[in-house]
This record gives sequence, structure tokens and C-alpha cells, in this order.
Amino acid sequence: MSNGLIDFVLVSVALLAIGIYGLSVKRNAIRMLFAIEMIVNSANLNLVAFARFIPNSQGQTLALFSIAIAAAEVAVGLALIIVAYRMYRNIDIADFRSLKG
Amino acid sequence: MIEFTSTPIILTILLGAVGVILPVISIIRKERGSSLYGGIAFGALIAAICFVAYQILSKHIMPAAIFSKNVLVDDTFGSFFAIAMLLVSIMTTVGSFNYMRGRSNTAVYYSLILLASIGMVLIAYSTDLVMLFVAWELMSIPTYVLAGFNKKDPSSNEAAIKYFLFGALSSGIIIYGISIAYGLTGSTNIGDVISGFSKLGPDMMPLALLAVGMFIAGFGFKIGLVPFHMWLPDTYEGSPPTIAGLLAAGTKKAGFAAALRVIIMGTIALNVDWAFALGIIAIVTMTVGNLAAIMQKNLTRMLAYSSIAHAGYILIGLSVAPFSQIGIQASLFHILNHAVMKAAAFIAAAGIITTLAVSHIDKLRGLGKRMPITSLGLVISLLALAGVPPLNGFWSKLMLFGAAINAGSVAPWAPYLAVAGVLNSALSLAYYGWIIRKMYFEEGESDKRVKEPKSIIAVMIFSIIFMVGIGVYPDPIIEFAKSAVPNLSALSTIH
Repeated sequence: MSNGLIDFVLVSVALLAIGIYGLSVKRNAIRMLFAIEMIVNSANLNLVAFARFIPNSQGQTLALFSIAIAAAEVAVGLALIIVAYRMYRNIDIADFRSLKG
Repeated sequence: MIEFTSTPIILTILLGAVGVILPVISIIRKERGSSLYGGIAFGALIAAICFVAYQILSKHIMPAAIFSKNVLVDDTFGSFFAIAMLLVSIMTTVGSFNYMRGRSNTAVYYSLILLASIGMVLIAYSTDLVMLFVAWELMSIPTYVLAGFNKKDPSSNEAAIKYFLFGALSSGIIIYGISIAYGLTGSTNIGDVISGFSKLGPDMMPLALLAVGMFIAGFGFKIGLVPFHMWLPDTYEGSPPTIAGLLAAGTKKAGFAAALRVIIMGTIALNVDWAFALGIIAIVTMTVGNLAAIMQKNLTRMLAYSSIAHAGYILIGLSVAPFSQIGIQASLFHILNHAVMKAAAFIAAAGIITTLAVSHIDKLRGLGKRMPITSLGLVISLLALAGVPPLNGFWSKLMLFGAAINAGSVAPWAPYLAVAGVLNSALSLAYYGWIIRKMYFEEGESDKRVKEPKSIIAVMIFSIIFMVGIGVYPDPIIEFAKSAVPNLSALSTIH
């Protein structure tokens, strides 16, 4: 039994909604990073699902590129968060308030 | 497939090879704070800009194209942006010579600037959403690292984390928009996507509008349009001032290149009502940017708000593009001018911060006597930003507002954009004038002249010549901007 396109799109929209919820409610830097990853992966799921019904490989290619790029992005983000942890012993975004105006 | 000798491929190979080799040289030589690496990066960027200029002058490149069957297109639109981005990268590299002296990881710093400039250049050349997304990330990821480069400084780290979170969110939004566009049209080529959009039935139209909305939000984060601007002042203030110049003058303009490739063509193909929405965003952006800038006490933070306001001015040209012939031309001209003006202002700020360790505006008293050349460069770039007549900013603002008034015969709301722009320029002169008054007409604690860094003086002299030269004789750059405008009448054939 094969799944219809709409199932994949629904899951993808649900993931997007969870990601946006996490980004706007949580204040822990790692949780926010994970929320962003969920948004990117919901888009990847969308791309792969659409590529199943479209007779070309561009969607799959973009999904592969996007996974690789997201890995690089997370590496940079985690490095920044580690530097912040060494300075503050804390990764709560609400505590980063030295810049104001 | 695009041929091997085309401009984007050669630029990628040249800058990428030097960018990868620089850290390797620094490992072999074991010399950390050497200025050799900056020199190598400067040489590579000069070679790149000379190559682009040669390609333009020898007419080896295509006239500006909206789309092509390839992934990259070697056209004058891309070359125009390549010149602007490489100029900013060169100014940032030279301006960093003094800032980076004696710091650690110099080679990595210059190598990241080179890699980010490949990304910025490739965005302007790409005609496929896959290429555009990869180039977008190639531009973004090195700048996240560069913003947090002073890792002992809490404000630099905070700036980088804020920039990273919003930047990663913006690329997530962009790729979601691309996935919707791909699902609707079955292609990632920008031309095919636009012609697919214009053939959609009315029941699928909301999804296409959602995709374009996601592109506006995603690119808007990087450009600093007003609902998406909250990270920008913090990031520009906290990151190293030379990198703030790269972000304000370089990545912001690359965002406009992507917006021109995707949003403008998409909005024209879909529905002209979007132009009105972009016009409202333009007015809100410049007003919020200028009003917030008046209240700032920190020089780099004030320049950050002023760069938000300038994103609003550039957006005037984009929003009247469907109705006016010179809309996009005026935007391109202002993009090149603003890139040089803002980079010069930030590098002057970097010179002041590294020599005197002050960035508060009250502490700038009497600076005109202490650092004459840096002060002169800062004053001329501020006057050019405000649009004072004999300088380059005046001509591009005149063209932008003229385009808005021209469009009034088709779109009755367009002249109000020009009115808002003129009022905002007058408003901006208030805070630029305040800095100039502090520097030249108020007595400082000491009149003793301090030694100005040679690299900063070189950048200042170049930018003064550029700003005054183009102000006196703007015709060649206006012609160049005109040749970089894609032929919009090609869009009407796909309906």
C-alpha cells in the first residue's frame, strides 16, 4: 500500500509548526538549534516527497545538498554555543544581554 | 553545461584555491600574526576583480538575462554584483591589516573572507534555486564564524549567536519556499519556476503566494527589512567592526541580488499587487531605521540602523520595477554606491576603535584634529549616505526618487515613496550632522595628533576618490547599471 503525497506534506507542515513553536517559546540555545534543524528537515521531507511524483531528480539533489549544508551549519552553531558556555557557564539566550540600544 | 572559462567558474577556482591554501601556509610557516596572509588574500581579490573587469570590457559576457537553462549564467547582472562584492571584500581585507595585527588565526580570518566572497559572487550569477541556496549558505556560514571571531569578547560571541540563529532560520525558510515552488512547478530552474507559476490554476495560487512570501521573509532577514531586522543592530555592534562592514555592505547586497533574481521576477509573473506590499515595507523600513538611528549613542550601532534605512531606499526601486523603466537601474546604482559608502564608514569606525578604543559618539569630540584623514573619510561617506549633492549618494537617490515619481502615472501610490524617501533623507542628515559637529566643531580633551594606520588611510583615500569621482562624473556607472538590468519584456512572453 502506497502513501499519498498529502500524508508526507501533512507531516512536513506539522514538523514546520513544531520547529516554529520551539524557536519562539524555548530560550535554550541547543533547543533553538534543534528547532531550526526541524524546520530544515521538514523542507527536506517535502522535497523528497515531491520528487517521488515528479519525473526529475532536482528535488532529491537539493535534499542531499541541504542535509550536507545543515550539518556544516550545526557544526558552526555548536562551536559558537560552546564558546558561550565557557564564558557564561550557561546557554540561556535570555542571559545574553550585553548588547542593547 | 556552462563552459569552464566563464567568469563564475574562474572566480570560484581562484578565490577557493587561495582560500583553502592560506590556512595550510600558516600551519607550515608557524607564524601566527603575520601580515603575509592578508597580502595574499588582497592579491587574489585584486586578480579576481581585474578578471571580472576584463571580461566586461572585452564583451565576453552575455547581456543581462533573467533566466537560462543552465545553473549559472555569465551575464552583466552577475558581473555588476561581482564588482560591488569584490570591492567590499577588498576594502574589508585592507581595512583588516591593522585590526588583525598581533591577533591569532590571521590566515583563517582572511580565508573566511575569501570563501564568503565566493558565496556572494555566486548568488548573483546563479539562475537555479539549488545553486542559489548553496551559494547562499557558502556566503552565510563563513560570516557566522567571522562575526564571532573575537572569541574572548562576550559581545562578539553574543552577536554571532544572534546572527547564527536568525541566519539559520532564514535559510530554513528559504529552503521551505524552494520546496513548495518545486512541488508546484516540478523544477528548480528559476525561469521554469516563474513560467510554471504563471500557468497555475486559481486553486493553487495561494501556495505560490506562500512560496514568494517565504522567499521575501528568508531574504528579508539577511537584507534587514523591518519586520525581520531585530538581530541586525546587535550583530553589527558586537562583531569586529571590519566584519560589520562586510555584513552591511556585502552580504546585504548579495541578499538584494537573490531578491532581484527570485522575488522581483516572481512577483511580476504572479501579480503586480506584490509591488504595493514591497512599497509599504520600503517606507516602514526606512522610517524605522532612521528613527532608531537618531537615538543611538554608539557609532557602529548607528551605522547599523542607517544601513537598515538604506535597505528601504533600495527597495523603492524594486517595488516600482513593474511600472518604471529605471526602477531596477536606480536600485543597482544605489547598491554599488551604498556598498562603498557603508564599507568606508565602517572601516573608518574600525580605525577609530582600534587606535583610540572609543566607539561612543560623545568621545568623538575633536577627532577632526586627532585623526584628520580617517575623519575626512568618515565625513565624506556620511554626507554621501545622506545624499548631499556633489557626492555619489545624491545621484542614486535622485534616480530612485525619480523612478518612483515616474511610476506615478501607472501606480498612484508610487510618488508617496519618493516623498517618504526625501523626508527620511532629511531626517538622516540630523544624526549624520550630529557626528560631524562632534568631530569638527567641538573641542576634545587633547588636540595631539595620533598616528593613523596606513591600511585605513589607503581605504579612506580610495573611497574618497570613488565617492567624489562618481559624484562629479556619474555617467559611466549609470551606463554600467543600465546594461546590468535584465530585459523585463521577456517575462511577458511566458504568459
